[in-house]
Amino acid sequence: MKRLAKLLTLALAWTLAVPGVVRAEETVNIGLLSDLSGPTSAVGVPYSEGIKDAAKYLNENGGIAGKPIKLIEVDYAYNAQQALSAYKRFTSQDKIVALQGWGTQDTEALTKFVGKDQIPTLSASYSAHLTDPAKAPYNFFVAADYSTQIRGALKYFKGNWKEARAPKVAFVYPDHPYGLVPIPAAKDYAKELGFELVGDETVALGAMDAMAQMLRLQKLAPDYVWIGGTTPSAAVIMKDAQKLGFKTTFFCNIWGVDESLFKLAGDAAGGAYSLQTAVVYGQKVPGMAVIEKLTGGTPKMTHYIRGFASMLVMAEGLKIAAAKGPLTGPAIKDALETLRDYNPMGLTPPISFFPNDHRPNMSVIIYKVEAGKMVEVATETLERKPEWLGK
Amino acid sequence: MHGQCGLFFRTYAGEAQLFPGRFLKISMLLFFAALCLAPWAMNKYLVSILCLINISVIGAVSLNLLTGSCGQISLGHGAFFGVGAYSAAYLANLGLPFLLVLPGAGAITALTGMVFGLPSLRLKGIYLAIATLAAQLILEYVFLHWDAVTGGSGGMALDPPSIFGFAFDSDLKMFYLTLAVAALCVLCVRNVMRTCLGRAFVAIRDYHLSAEIVGVDLFAYKLRAFGLSSFLAGVGGALWGSYTMYITPEQFGIGLSVSYLAMIIIGGLGSVIGGVFGAVFITILPELLNFIAQHAGAAFTDLSGALLAMKEGVFGLVLVLFLIFEPEGLANRWRLVKSYWKLYPFAH
Repeated sequence: MKRLAKLLTLALAWTLAVPGVVRAEETVNIGLLSDLSGPTSAVGVPYSEGIKDAAKYLNENGGIAGKPIKLIEVDYAYNAQQALSAYKRFTSQDKIVALQGWGTQDTEALTKFVGKDQIPTLSASYSAHLTDPAKAPYNFFVAADYSTQIRGALKYFKGNWKEARAPKVAFVYPDHPYGLVPIPAAKDYAKELGFELVGDETVALGAMDAMAQMLRLQKLAPDYVWIGGTTPSAAVIMKDAQKLGFKTTFFCNIWGVDESLFKLAGDAAGGAYSLQTAVVYGQKVPGMAVIEKLTGGTPKMTHYIRGFASMLVMAEGLKIAAAKGPLTGPAIKDALETLRDYNPMGLTPPISFFPNDHRPNMSVIIYKVEAGKMVEVATETLERKPEWLGK
Repeated sequence: MHGQCGLFFRTYAGEAQLFPGRFLKISMLLFFAALCLAPWAMNKYLVSILCLINISVIGAVSLNLLTGSCGQISLGHGAFFGVGAYSAAYLANLGLPFLLVLPGAGAITALTGMVFGLPSLRLKGIYLAIATLAAQLILEYVFLHWDAVTGGSGGMALDPPSIFGFAFDSDLKMFYLTLAVAALCVLCVRNVMRTCLGRAFVAIRDYHLSAEIVGVDLFAYKLRAFGLSSFLAGVGGALWGSYTMYITPEQFGIGLSVSYLAMIIIGGLGSVIGGVFGAVFITILPELLNFIAQHAGAAFTDLSGALLAMKEGVFGLVLVLFLIFEPEGLANRWRLVKSYWKLYPFAH
């Protein structure tokens, strides 16, 4: 009898503890696919923190038309199969209206599903082909795509080139979908601008050494070298180049330079350029005060800020859709497509989506690594050329 | 339960039956009927897990035929799966009907598997493992760089399969399709194991020299094992591609190969039912861990983050515990459970 009483008390305590969650129809349910334990977790964790903090901030400020946002997070460990089953759970059990995705693997594996189920998806996979609504009608993101980022940087370097000869450029990237995606676009644009392409090298994402590749590149003497890896491989490349006394200007894509590079590469990273699409922690923009309050002044990586902005942009779409009627996938998609120069509290360049063009903007923020800090040097904005869409 | 105690087979054919005894036949029939009815009582999420299990069953059973039954270790199964998926996408985009796409993808994968199985005549054990690892890397490279056929880094989209105008465009429909193909594959492998082909495989696995002495042509049979196993992997890959409708090279990395190896080790090497158990276990495990992390998280908010991050560790731990406490896999545990009930209430 005593045991029964104990069990009943426990059951009661459980029922009182669990339903602290608000009922489904009173919340705006958003799925959140995060990599907290897989190969991209080093950047996946801060990104998802950014999204969660933004949701917290939005809920403290009235949520979406009075309803709080409920984020349902699943750690899919960068595995397409787990992403797929998480997505099915989101749509069938949790009744999500929109999805915050993460990397290339899950975003692309789900492209057709989100299109069919009409679930607007914002992700952190910035492949240009996701910006073409004809191929990925429900995919969005808040950063200029990888190709646009390189084009912006090339334009900036060409604009600041003083010598009479053509500047030489080389590309170093992993033999991986993420590294390869922007290469054709980058080469075409470099040629168009009058760069001399001197060569390519591949360095794997998990490489421990890039000496051989740097030696070959050193002989070609490029003025600029683009690094298309992630911070660990970018650090290896920069350190090996420093060991060889190879003097060139490195510029790295969005996942190649962040605050962790200073620890990994030390002085070798000095003078490198980082292509970003959001501000860095501590920069003077309106949103930073909010972020500093939420994080208690503890610096966060730039990926956190992009996650934060991604949630703000999604919320803007949700608000517009909610003001017009019930929150459905197509309504949110249409609302997002009406955004014109929406400014997510200054955290990213202004964002616009069009029904036939999901490129959020054509701007890349160029930072230079100086004394272990990312210092903003310019924001390069390109023309929204239709022939660049999806490429 | 009216089971006979002891073996009462009077003919070889009787002994080699697929389902000996009426009890087994009826219980299999009931199990299959329950499986067919189950999705009607489930939501889309659970049905999608059943689909993933069906596809994994094909992969695990096919690898078990090669590695468990024939002793040819393969670290390239994930890539063979990918060959199936890409072949299916390519053939489907050419406009071929699904009923041709499925065996076509299998045939292309079988050919690929046999080419990479060629070193198996000279190589054994860890050397063969490395040769198949090379297959994995080469095939991944091909997926990424043969743009004209595979779409390169951008991947390939394909439509849901359709048979005689009936489109399998929902989880429920895909469940029946994958279940039917998985059941056929399991039956096929089970049958292969009853024939002289299967016996030759086992002879090669147990000791290649004795197998050769009793007249097994090592090279021909090893190639057949690679061919058959890859054919089934190709069929599985084709189903995976048709189910997700979008394939990229990343989906068929070394992680997938390792996960299939984990399935057959946990399920039980060399046993068909072991492959099925392993596939079910490995597919459900991450979902279960997510479920626990989420529900524990609802009660103890601070714990949820830590639990989510620990998930991969728990996954590894489960594998290690299996290797220590149940090295012969779930199939062996299943045998023990069956014999317990056969002898119940007597222990021996």
